[in-house]
Formats: sequence, C-alpha cells, structure tokens
Amino acid sequence: MKKKNRNVAIIGSGMSKFSSHREEVNQPELIHEAVVEALEDAHLTMDDVDCVLHGNMELFEMVHQPDMWHVLGTGAWGKPGVRLTTGGTTGATLACAADNLVASGLHDVVLAIGFEKLEEGHATGGITNMADPLWGRSLQTGALTGTAAQKLIEQFGEERAKNAAIKMRIIMDEHAMRNEKAHRRLRLDRKYMKQIATQTPPLVGELRMIHMCSQSDGACAVIFASEDKVAQLGANPAWVVDHETVHREETLIFNSGKSTHRVAAERLYARNGITDPIHQIDVFEMYDPSAWWGVDWLGDFLLCESDEHVKMVENDQIAIEGEFPLNPSGGVQASNPIGATALVRVAEAAMQVVARRANTRCRVM
Amino acid sequence: MSNKKEGGPELIVSRQILSIAQRFSTGPVMGRFLRELRDNKRIMANKCPKCGRHQLPPREVCALCSVEATEWEELGPEGAIRDYDIVYYSSPDPLTGETRETPYVLCWAQLDRTQGDAPLWHLLNAPDLSKVRRGLRVRVVFSEERDGTMGDIKYFEIIE
Amino acid sequence: MAKHRGAGGRVAICAVAQTKFERDKWQVRFQGMLWEVVEKVLRQTGLQFGAGGIEAAVTVSDDVFDARTISDGAITDVVGAHHQSEEKVAADGAQGVYYAAATILSNHHDIVLLAGHCKESQSASRNQITHLAFDPFYTRPVGLDYVAAAALQAQAYMARTGVTEAQLADVVVRSRKWARENPVAQETAAVTREQALAAPMLAAPIRQSFMYPVSDGAIAMILASEERAAELTDRPVWITGLGNCYDSFFLGERDLAGNFSLERAAKKAYEMAGVTHPTDAFEVVEIADQYAHQQPQYAEGLALCPARQGAKWLADGGPEKQHVNRSGGMLAGNPLILGGMARVAEAVIQLRGEAGSRQVPGAKRALAHGATGPAGQLQTVVVLEN
Repeated sequence: MKKKNRNVAIIGSGMSKFSSHREEVNQPELIHEAVVEALEDAHLTMDDVDCVLHGNMELFEMVHQPDMWHVLGTGAWGKPGVRLTTGGTTGATLACAADNLVASGLHDVVLAIGFEKLEEGHATGGITNMADPLWGRSLQTGALTGTAAQKLIEQFGEERAKNAAIKMRIIMDEHAMRNEKAHRRLRLDRKYMKQIATQTPPLVGELRMIHMCSQSDGACAVIFASEDKVAQLGANPAWVVDHETVHREETLIFNSGKSTHRVAAERLYARNGITDPIHQIDVFEMYDPSAWWGVDWLGDFLLCESDEHVKMVENDQIAIEGEFPLNPSGGVQASNPIGATALVRVAEAAMQVVARRANTRCRVM
Repeated sequence: MSNKKEGGPELIVSRQILSIAQRFSTGPVMGRFLRELRDNKRIMANKCPKCGRHQLPPREVCALCSVEATEWEELGPEGAIRDYDIVYYSSPDPLTGETRETPYVLCWAQLDRTQGDAPLWHLLNAPDLSKVRRGLRVRVVFSEERDGTMGDIKYFEIIE
Repeated sequence: MAKHRGAGGRVAICAVAQTKFERDKWQVRFQGMLWEVVEKVLRQTGLQFGAGGIEAAVTVSDDVFDARTISDGAITDVVGAHHQSEEKVAADGAQGVYYAAATILSNHHDIVLLAGHCKESQSASRNQITHLAFDPFYTRPVGLDYVAAAALQAQAYMARTGVTEAQLADVVVRSRKWARENPVAQETAAVTREQALAAPMLAAPIRQSFMYPVSDGAIAMILASEERAAELTDRPVWITGLGNCYDSFFLGERDLAGNFSLERAAKKAYEMAGVTHPTDAFEVVEIADQYAHQQPQYAEGLALCPARQGAKWLADGGPEKQHVNRSGGMLAGNPLILGGMARVAEAVIQLRGEAGSRQVPGAKRALAHGATGPAGQLQTVVVLEN
C-alpha cells in the first residue's frame, strides 16, 4: 500500500435529527445543527476549521450551487472549500475528499458536510432524473426495483430469501430503536415477522414499503484532522486508513458482471492486509437502501461465495450483540437524507472505533 | 400554505413548481438509433470494434475498452426477458407528469443476436402478471405514430 | 497554513485538450463532446485507463445545467471510470484542479484525469438556472440571478473606482482581438468601442457585450505526481500555488466593490508558491472575467494592481503589460463552470510554449483564476510554473 503523505483522523462528528418533516428549519439551519454538534464533539470552534466540504444533489431541492446559500449554515465564510457530489455515495466521497485534502498538506482541519432535505422536493422524481433523458427517464422508478429480490430468490429460494430480507429489516429497526437520531423507529417485533412482510404495500415486485429506506431530511458533519493537529488538540482520533471509490459504466441493468461493491472491497482488503473480512472487521456501517439490497450487498462486501451472508442474517450475527454488528445506527433503512447518508456511515463507524478504542479496526465503504 | 405544529407558532412553507425547458441533443450515435426506430422500425445497436459487445441503447464509447463503438447491427425484434419489475407504486412519468395506472411491468429483454449483456429496457404488455418470468420470449411492438423517441417502441409483447 | 508537501511532492499538468467553444453544439451529446477531449489527452500521453495508467477521474459538471441528477453517472463511459474511481466537483473547474491536485499530493493517486463539460445551450435560459442558486424565500422572489448579482457588483465597483462604461467596452474590444489568435475561442468577431456600447442592456450597467456568451464545450487534463510526470511529457507544468475562499451569501452583507474572498484565496496561493510581488511575478495572467468589470476588479483582488486602482490600471494598459487574458478570457466564451478550468488550460498552453501567435515569449510563471457563485462568492487561484 502507498504511504499517505501524512496521516488523517476523524476527531468529531455531528448530525441533525433525521425526519421526514423538518419544516421548523430551513436548509442552512438544518446544516447548522450538524455543524454545531460536530464542533462541540471535537472541542473546536469554527476558527479551527480551515476547509469546508459540501455535498448533496441539486435536483432534490432544486437549488443550484447550494453551497453558496448554505454558507449561512456551514460556516464557510472566509474559508476555503470544495463541493463534491456523486449521488448516494456523496457523503463517502466527501470523506475520501477530506482524507485527501488533509493528507495532501493543503489543509489541517477539514469539515465535511453532507446534506439533504428531501421533503422540499420529490425524491423519487429526483432519482428518476438520473436516467438518460433520451432512453430511461420515462421508465425509471426512482431507486425502486424488485431485481435484487429476484436475484436473492433465485439464489436461495423464495422462503429463505424473503425471510432473510425481513429479518434484516427487523434487525435494522432494533438498532434504530437505540439511535435517537434515526428517522424511522418502528418497534418492529420479531414475533410478527411474517405479518410485517406481507402487510405493507408492495412497491415493485417483492420490494415492499417496509423493505425500502425512508425519505429523510438531515445533515451530517464530520471533522478530519492531520496527525499533528490530533496531537496538538489531544483529540480522540479514529484514523482513516484508506479509501476506495469504484464506479461502473452507464447502464441501468442490475446484477451485470462483478458488482462495484465487490471490486471496491477486494481492492481495499488487498491493500490493507484483510484476508478474512468477517473476522478482521469489528463493525460495518453499510449503505443499505433496502433490506433486499442490504442482504445482497453484504455478501458482496464480505466477498461471500455462497450463503455465508444469508446465514449471518439468519443467526443474528449482524445484530448489535452479534459477532459482526452491521449498522448499529439502524442504517439507511432507518434514515436516508441522501447527500448526508454515506457520511453518516463514516461518522457512525468513527464513533464506534473511538468508543471501542482498543485494537479496533474498522472499514467503511 | 401554512402548517401549524401543535403548541408551536404557525410555520409557513412556500410551495413552488420549478421547471426549465430543455432541448437535449441526441448526437450521431443515439440520434441514429432513434432515427432507425422512427423511419425503419429497426432496433440498431452499435458494437465495440475491440471486444465485440453491443450497446443498447447505443452510447458513444465502449466503457470497457475506451474506444468508439462505430459498427452497427440490427438486433431483435424478438428476444428473451433477462429481468423484470412489476411496478405497484404509481410514480409520475417525469416526462409527462402523468401518473400511470398500476400495476404495470417493465422488462429488460436480451434481443436475439445481442453479444454481451445489453438488454433493452421497456414496458411489457402483460395482461396476466402470473405469466411474467425470466426467459420468457418477447417481441418489440412499435408505435404507429413515431417521433424519434423511445416512445416509438410501444412495448414488448409476449410471444404466445 | 500547512506546508507539508513531503512524500506527496509536486503535481504536474501533463496534457491539456479543449473543444472549440461554441454557442450551440447541438450536434453532440455532452458525452460526445467530452470524449473528444479525453481521447486527445490519452493520445498526448499514451496513457490507458487502469492500474499503472490513469487510476482515477475527477470530473466537473453541474446537475442543473445537465438537467440530470448525478450527471457524472452519464460520463463514466467516456472518462474510463468503469470499475475505477470518479469523483465530481460541482463548481467552477478551477476547483476541480484544486481537488485533483489534492488527490495526488495526498499520495492516494499518481495519475488523474480531470474532465469538465457543460452545454449552456441545452436550457432555455441560463438565468433560470442561476436564479435557482438563490434561497427560495428572500432573494428568489426579488428575481435575482447571476446577471442581476453581477450588475449590483458592477454598480458598486464602478462607483467606488470610477471605471467607466467606455473602459469596459475597451476590455471587450481587447478580448475579441486576442480571441482571434486562440483557435478554441468562441467570440472572435472584431467589435469597436461604439458597437460594444450599443449592445442591449441586460441589467444596468451590464450590456450583452459585457457578459460572457452562451457557450458549450469540454476540457480535459492529465495531472500526475512528480515521479510519473516525466514519463508523460517533456514539458510538465507544475502547480505551485493553490488557494480558494468563500464570501458570504447575501449580497447586502458583502462588500461588492471589494474582493474579500479573492484576496484571501490569492494570499494562500501566493504563500504556497512563494510569490511576494504579484505585480511582476507572472508572465501570463488568466482572469475569469464573466463580466467585463470583473477584469479590473479581480485584477485588484489578485494584487496585480493596488486596491481601488482598477480604472488607472486599465488606462495605463495594465491588461496588455501583464499579459492578461491572451486567450480572450471568459468574455470570449466558456461555459460558466468551465471558466477557471479554461484559464488553467491557457496557462498550461502558454507555459508549454504552444500558444502560437498569442504566445508570451519565455513565459515561466502563470496565474489562473476561477470564480463560482453570485458575484464571485467562491474564488479560486492557481499558480503554475514550467
């Protein structure tokens, strides 16, 4: 693995409360909640921050170059900054960028802010605008598809696949019940697994309302600092060891070739000496926009070759008390302010690392 | 428009519909595909000269080989369903604003003679949802009035 | 500021390609437009995508201009990002240069493709797009867009400095004169001062001639670490200074006649590059003059002349003496979000000695500037050397 120009750590994070209804704040005010909490968490003031990163999707709120208006909440006045946006991955891209900007030596303390206020637009309409206007826009149904369910049903049989998806959904809800910031905290009861699965409306194929992530308003702010700064501030760091970004060609077919999740995981593991991810990783915060994708992608990220990931769901290994806690925050199925969501994963993972401290390794993708 | 929260002050929200008229270029590649649909009722794909796979709809460059895909071949009009979605959620058609009747079916059909993984995505006319399955043989049905858009394909129909 | 460029070393720009900038490239999708320049930088460097070659792409585009959510998803094919990294900077392209350089200085990547595109012709109105940059409750209802914001800036600046309309017309006349020497420039038809002053008024004092034209185009660059640059070119251009800074949002809170954010951005870039006397530090200066008054105003902010002395600077032939905007500048036509990237591109061409009839002989050090947002709220400064 290439050596970083200098080491980078996360020294604080903050989040707004996630909800479908945050009418009591406007966009900069929502961001401000997360920024203030992050600064307090890191025991810093805005004067200590020397770069502000911003990311969200313009067409969700219909604000062009929103980092301009949002300066009122981000605190970027008089400071350097960069705006990056890559879709659902935006928050993770912000974390990669913050890592790069601190490691580069250009900045010592970088505040990364992911944001979305989905109630102010039409989320499914906004996602549908991803499709090429010439060939997919009249067909796409936002991020809703039944193809992940089809794939799992084909791989593992209908009953086992359906049970795994709803089991994952319930575990994620149990985790969300422990997280006051989470948007959907439904108090789902394992006793009623079968009913929960069938009593919510179908959206697309076997993807039902209960399986799908929420549409949330929310902001997340994470503070990254150089090794020198960490020492100087006496901060409690979660070191950012490495990151990897993998894209794919422009098609809207699912399950084609090797998944980007698997490619990213393979590269990251190879560079960082991870040969047995299930045992070498203590906690995993994953972007799981639906329970079906959650089950499928878990297999990809952990490089499973057969049904190991399904078993991990079935035997509660992914529960917070299990051997491989997945999304102790409740994950994306509980809260999905899209531009903030992937940064929330990074923030949650960093909090876990800092709290557990001793000899912990954590990887986030 | 106002929204009074229990016990709190009235919160005013501002409802606005924002739209900006667009004129999208089709370019020589997608443009040819659409012209063939409109004028000749043919599904034309372009082909990578290096790896030989088709692109449907055609795009300028083969993403795997980073070369222009300059050869053209007619595919279909028959093929087999690779994936499908039965849609129950009535999202508005972003191009027309109209809400569709549900349920309806979308499918990705691999047209005959296609090389590589390049299914064509469109509506499937399936009066009996229980018949829809992967591998089902389907045929492209063209619209009678065609204007050089993807709407020139009316839908896939199931070959009985 | 941090001064830590140890293991990361320096970053070089090793190749540059631009499309011709045009009012309406209706014949091509933006993907086709971008591929034209990506293919050129691949050919210039002999690079391929993948391990050992181009490892990552940083792209520059805007979802509203593209009318497409996550519009970078539409260009993965042409920037070689299938199973590779692609990160999109959604701001002026000089910000793309800033971030792409950071990915190399951090030692995360060795070779990065920077690729930007925009088709302003696609939308019925650019002003409808920039109107959306304003908040929905307070500034949208009064009809602000970037032209109206720039007009307020121009009024404030001209009132403070005494820069006249005739001087702005002369900035346009000079832009056209040099644009004729630049094969990619859009507005090359000669104008007289009288013609420029007779152009329709858009938002007083900004006339159509004083504003950059509707423009379509794409730019690609290859950036590389010091270790890899030599393989790619025998004329690397080094990025030696980088700085950027935000001003506040509400126009009423800002000193519109001043250069709050640009002065700070320039200070950072100059410190990093070791520039102590900016007035004579550069053989080539490229300013993102989206509007004619911004050329003298931003020259002040860049410390190319004393503050409040823009009128004198113009009267004394400052732009010609300091070789400002021999490309024709923004006024000759670049899409809004590629303005700063085109400035960096011209700086590289000059420092490589490839600028033909507009070449500044023996150019050693260049200054390139970009701006994003209403009345230049976010300013970016790049110093380059050969």
